Amino acid sequence: MEYPKNHRQIVDDLTTGRFVLSRDKHFEELVQQEEFYAEFFKISFDYNLTITTEYAYLVSKETDENMSRDISIFFAIFCYELDKQGKNFLDGLQYAEYSFEEINLLFDNSSYIDLIQSNKQLKDADARRRILFGTMARKNIIEKISEDRFYFTPAYKVFVDFAKTLAENKLVESN
Amino acid sequence: MIVKAEPKTILHFIYTYFEVLRDLFDLQQDNGLIRKEGLNDTLNQHKKDIKLQLLEYKVIRQVNDDYEFRDVYYKLIEFVLFEFRPLLPEEIDKFGNSITELFRKIKKGIDQDRNILLERIKALSVQIKEFSDAVEKNSIRLLNETRELKGNVSRIDYKEKIQKASFWIEYYIIPLNTILDVNHSQSISNKLLNISEFANQRRLNYDDEGVRQAFEKLYHVLIQTNDDVLRQSKILTNELLPLIERIRTESMILTGWIEFLKNPYKVTPPKFLKTDKDSPYSNKIYLNTIEYFEQFSVADEAIIEADSEEMERWIFKKAKYKEQLIKSLPVQSFFDWVNKQLKSEDKHITNEKLFALTCLLFEDDLEITSYSKDSTVKIKTDTTNLNVPKLKVTQNGIPEES
Repeated sequence: MEYPKNHRQIVDDLTTGRFVLSRDKHFEELVQQEEFYAEFFKISFDYNLTITTEYAYLVSKETDENMSRDISIFFAIFCYELDKQGKNFLDGLQYAEYSFEEINLLFDNSSYIDLIQSNKQLKDADARRRILFGTMARKNIIEKISEDRFYFTPAYKVFVDFAKTLAENKLVESN
Repeated sequence: MIVKAEPKTILHFIYTYFEVLRDLFDLQQDNGLIRKEGLNDTLNQHKKDIKLQLLEYKVIRQVNDDYEFRDVYYKLIEFVLFEFRPLLPEEIDKFGNSITELFRKIKKGIDQDRNILLERIKALSVQIKEFSDAVEKNSIRLLNETRELKGNVSRIDYKEKIQKASFWIEYYIIPLNTILDVNHSQSISNKLLNISEFANQRRLNYDDEGVRQAFEKLYHVLIQTNDDVLRQSKILTNELLPLIERIRTESMILTGWIEFLKNPYKVTPPKFLKTDKDSPYSNKIYLNTIEYFEQFSVADEAIIEADSEEMERWIFKKAKYKEQLIKSLPVQSFFDWVNKQLKSEDKHITNEKLFALTCLLFEDDLEITSYSKDSTVKIKTDTTNLNVPKLKVTQNGIPEES
């Protein structure tokens, strides 16, 4: 049996919880072989493969809720604060670059400061640096440009879609 | 309807009392008409007693007990203030019907009565201009509404913003876009293109010069209108629709985030892969270990309190105990000896001390003899009651003195 050319990298990236992005050279192969990989991960590990036009990632039955929740809180506060400043946060997520200092200012001046301070991964500059340049960078949710600057990759859409679903449920409830 | 006053008098009246008219216009915009009390309040606020002139100059008319602007004045004020009421697509679509009907009759009666043909061409021109004006006014109004919504001038919450944006999209923008979409076979724009083609031919080949000129005028009106409609269509699709869609999407996302932030620990977050199946020799273990430990690296502050009393650590000095054991030989019960020995040093006898001394039993120069199977000794340590065998210890090779 012949495996796809970048098989090892595809498996390595996905099984370490990374998002494979459309700009990655092995993304196209993954998309072309979607059926094979969906079955491969399901049968080998009982993981579900999600592929969109911009990214791919794996989901396991048991999930790292704490990490996912911390990143969701990060995005929630980021979007809320940017909107409060009258900026289009969708543009901010899609096109803009940020310095770590800008993120710190957003969080330090947030009206959700109580929630921020009670969260170990977001409570101060050191913690935020760790979640941003550690966890989120490793998972390809952000791309580091330098030691201090970064931009978001299309993986942010998973979190934004999560917020949309919550809103839809809320609107259905209230109607 | 006869207006007794001179036209200039009426225009002067409008000029002089424009501020009052403007407030009345706002009342009608908000409520659909001017309530009797609203009219009186406005006139009192401005201290102008002009109710009679308003009625006499036919600026307003009475509707039961209330009032409303006559259409011509309403439109005038609307136009000069640039505050247009957004027209429902159905109101714009009616121009499509009259345009279609007039065009059908022009084509049918093209070789019939010249005068009625000329009248129809003129009427068609008027309808086309009115249609173009209505579209332009609507785009202006919709853009204003959308920008106001974007700036959130009225300070409405995100949920209401979604509803407003959805309302404008569903009832105004999408239908208007259909009316203007030249690719849509039933759109007015498409009809105008057909008329334009027809007028273009007739302005060149119709026998009668007067009719040719009428078609020529119509053709130029149509060229201008097609350009205007195309521009409005572009504003609609390139600016208005994306802007309002964005407002709707952003408000939706923020509604979700605000709901989430109310209690983030109650909601199940997005699902991901849990990477916990690594072997120590895996090449991923380094990064995953870092990630794992990072979760705990920001631990809460811990305070270490000093022990109130310093305990001296007990060290097993084998040589010392062996020497004492040899001095005490022969020993009839080894564990009794251990018990006594340890008690003589410290009142605490621990399992650790007891087991440490047990290793003396394995010294080569000592001979251990056990009694019968059931012969045991009870030793009590700080934590345990032990039942141990009774063992006799003598020096190896030296018989016990009788």
